[in-house]
Amino acid sequence: MAKAEILSIPQRNLWEKIKTFINAELIHILAAILFLLLAIFLLYPILAVLIKSIKSPDGLTLSYYAKFFVKGYYFQSLLNTLMLGFINTVVCLTVGFCMAYLTTRGPLSLRKPLKFIAMMPLIAPPYLFAISLIILFGRNGILTMALGLKWSIYGFSGVVIAQTLAFIPLAYLMIENTLMSLNPNLEESAYDLGASETRIIRTITIPLLAPGILKAGLLVFVMTIAEFGNAAILGGRTPFLAPDTYQMIIGEADFEMGSVLSVILIIPCIIIFFLHSYLLTGKKFTTIGGKPVASEPRKMTPLVKIPFLIISCLAGLVILISFGVVFISSFTRLLGVKNEIVFSHILNFDSNRAIYNSIQVSLIAAFIGAIIGTLLAYVIVRGKFFGRTFIEMVSLSGFALPGTVIGIGYLLAFNTPPIKLTGGIMILALNCVFRFLAVGVEAGISKLHQINIEIEEASADLGANFMTTFYKIVLPIMFPAFIAGFIYTFMTAIVSLSAVVFLVSPGFELAAVKIFDAAAYGEIGIASATTMKLVVIVIFCMVILNYITKKTGFDVSQKKRSVTV
Amino acid sequence: MSSNQSIPMLMLNDIHKFYDRLEVLKGISLDVTKGELVTFVGPSGCGKTTLLRVIGGFTPFDSGEVILDGQRIDHLPPNLRDTRICFQNYALFPHMTVAENISYGLKIKKWKKNKIQERVEELLRLVKLEGLGGRMIDKLSGGQQQRVAVARALSLEPKVLLLDEPLSNLDANLRLTMRGEIRKLQERLKITTIFVTHDQFEAMSISDRIVVMKEGVIQQIGSPIEIYERPENEFIASFVGYVNFLDGVVERVDLRPDMATVSTPVGEINFVPERNFNVGDKVKLVIRPETINMSRSEPANGDNILQGEVEIGMYVGSLAKYTVQVKGERMIIDQTNPRETGIFKENEKIYLTIPKNIHVLRKN
Ligand SMILES: Nc1ncnc2c1ncn2[C@@H]1O[C@H](COP(=O)(O)OP(=O)(O)OP(=O)(O)O)[C@@H](O)[C@H]1O
Ligand SMILES: [Mg+2]
Repeated sequence: MAKAEILSIPQRNLWEKIKTFINAELIHILAAILFLLLAIFLLYPILAVLIKSIKSPDGLTLSYYAKFFVKGYYFQSLLNTLMLGFINTVVCLTVGFCMAYLTTRGPLSLRKPLKFIAMMPLIAPPYLFAISLIILFGRNGILTMALGLKWSIYGFSGVVIAQTLAFIPLAYLMIENTLMSLNPNLEESAYDLGASETRIIRTITIPLLAPGILKAGLLVFVMTIAEFGNAAILGGRTPFLAPDTYQMIIGEADFEMGSVLSVILIIPCIIIFFLHSYLLTGKKFTTIGGKPVASEPRKMTPLVKIPFLIISCLAGLVILISFGVVFISSFTRLLGVKNEIVFSHILNFDSNRAIYNSIQVSLIAAFIGAIIGTLLAYVIVRGKFFGRTFIEMVSLSGFALPGTVIGIGYLLAFNTPPIKLTGGIMILALNCVFRFLAVGVEAGISKLHQINIEIEEASADLGANFMTTFYKIVLPIMFPAFIAGFIYTFMTAIVSLSAVVFLVSPGFELAAVKIFDAAAYGEIGIASATTMKLVVIVIFCMVILNYITKKTGFDVSQKKRSVTV
Repeated sequence: MSSNQSIPMLMLNDIHKFYDRLEVLKGISLDVTKGELVTFVGPSGCGKTTLLRVIGGFTPFDSGEVILDGQRIDHLPPNLRDTRICFQNYALFPHMTVAENISYGLKIKKWKKNKIQERVEELLRLVKLEGLGGRMIDKLSGGQQQRVAVARALSLEPKVLLLDEPLSNLDANLRLTMRGEIRKLQERLKITTIFVTHDQFEAMSISDRIVVMKEGVIQQIGSPIEIYERPENEFIASFVGYVNFLDGVVERVDLRPDMATVSTPVGEINFVPERNFNVGDKVKLVIRPETINMSRSEPANGDNILQGEVEIGMYVGSLAKYTVQVKGERMIIDQTNPRETGIFKENEKIYLTIPKNIHVLRKN
């Protein structure tokens, strides 16, 4: 008996050792697996684009880039894109500031409705505005006909208007956030010292908000230049980088030039991504404690109030009209031309089929995305290994990268073995997972920061191993973040167009792509109806999110502010 | 000159303020003389900040008048009022230097550059921050920030200075120093000041007059001595320092010598009435802990001698605090200079002497 015992000990020791090792190293193993996934599904596709743009049959070459700069058309496209980004940013920030100022400083009765309108575009895919502008100002547009306009919405100005409307909420939310976090006593002190409202805005409000406004501006800029739908639908003969890339790949099958355009488009995005994270860590004005004071409605001087109101109301009106006409157009044979009520658009088989497909893809994406996001958040917050911040950066970068680029990347990367995914449904889902990973990761990180690490340590002290701790302590607390990540990924995935437009296979159309095609072929009714269906789905998701926020007290919408984006 | 003195610098007439249904100020009236420092004390939420904001013009109110130096200013926005407020969090402009903060108002009034510079230096000297004009705000300590806030508020020589808990963000020692400095500065500049605080001792030590507030109603206005020694009701008495209350009924009233006797649970107590009492009046005696005397042996002569037993003794250095049981009533007693009187032990039987000039409230 004694002998048997002696024999069995080393064996058990080995098993114990393996178990201990796994327990101790689980977080690192997890990190390694997650990093591998990020590398395959995010870094590799981007790399594939980069390589494609410099590889010729006889080695490396810069000739494609030379072509870009020599051929006036391409260069014009870059200039247009940057110009669009610049104008759009300025307009969005101006409108966003006016609206945010009114909803935080203006008359109480105005605050809620104005905020509601400012946020409305969030429930719509950005290209809703392209469609509404076509209905209003297109060749057969209501206003074009009614007023006999010579001006065509197809071109630079049309894209600017649509993009501005689409990105007002982004600018608004970020500026409102900074305005609300500004200690109202600062402005009041200036007021007290004799400053007029215009002077307060000029010398106190704007200087103190500058970092926030700059951040908002950078984001609007990146989002605008990367946005595909509006520019593709309304661009007409005006070249922009994102739609041109699509034209290169899908129209002309010129993968090399498509890749070059993508790389050119990435450069400003990456610069701004770093600038943005630098600003985030940059200096922040803090004041010493004291109770926060509710900002009481101040009597605004007409000098400020009237111009702010005019700008806000104008923007608000256009937003409302846009939703209105797209809604009406879903039930009209051809709004402005044949004004009769029909249900054929709403009941259209292809449209509903596309919606069904989109839901399917988005559900898969949301599920995988929420899991990976939660795990990534855990590894990023709790891991203590070298390269943690790198993992965080990579996982957040999906949002900063233009969808078209990721789309092309997937097309190039997963078209051939070892990982052949093209033509399937998984490539659509995975592409959404890794593009929108930031949402789940950020929600998870913020939730984890709320959990005291001591709870976990206490659990570990009590003898629970890593798995048990994670399962019993971390997961339940992380659950709201998981759900938030799930719904956000779903919401974003279902309306996203720019990447999937490269990846859909004939016979499996997605709603966003259907809208894009319908708009291009002038089937405005179907485009409108399909858009409205997406709007309804997004509203439904928001209601659920709202419910979760109320139920768990976890303010997901707060998170959204820093992430939407 | 004398007429100038008699017109109050600031008059509040029956000010009412509602937040929705909640009445936060319930008819506040007060005259503040030129050069006076008046302190508002009261528990959290009683409306002190709201009142300051009303005077400063930040908060619209429902009825009443604010009169500054003889003129109604209700309708004026803050930037046209000659009042200056210092918020509790100082609200210094974080993107400006100390000098830029202080000169903010001067620039608005279009002062000449060299005049501004002179004035800023004068103010920096005044608040003892010479040479720090070029610093950014976040490079200052809490006490220094507080001085900048005061300097900025004084820059345009306002008629009334409003300070909302200016010292509450400082640590205890600094608070004492700054308290003294603010008072000295205020007396030197003869600037009419309204000072809001939570801290009764701060109020006692700094004010010409104290206004005690509770739930939007002024409870009493008076000098620190009046408020402490002759509080008009139980709330004021217990808000300012600790008090032993004894309920009783007036038994006897003598006119010569002026003396009254109350029967209380601890026995009969004689006191010199401050006003007319009648036999049978229900009263409450307000006995401050430091006015009671303790001794081991029975004092030779005198009234109001009670016997008790020490329950808890606490030696705090400058004084010893005792809880003493007297016929089932628990009384708190402070013995100043405990080294001289000796330390009493727990369960020790002792004698108490209650002074005859105690304050007595009539119960309704
Ligand atoms: N903007 C506001 N909206 C609604 N109610 C308010 C507002 N500001 C203050 N109140 C309420 O008015 C009452 C008085 O508040 P106030 O800030 O004047 O009290 P306070 O005496 O300064 O308190 P503290 O000592 O805590 O500073 C409180 O009940 C408060 O909740
Ligand atoms: Mg207050």
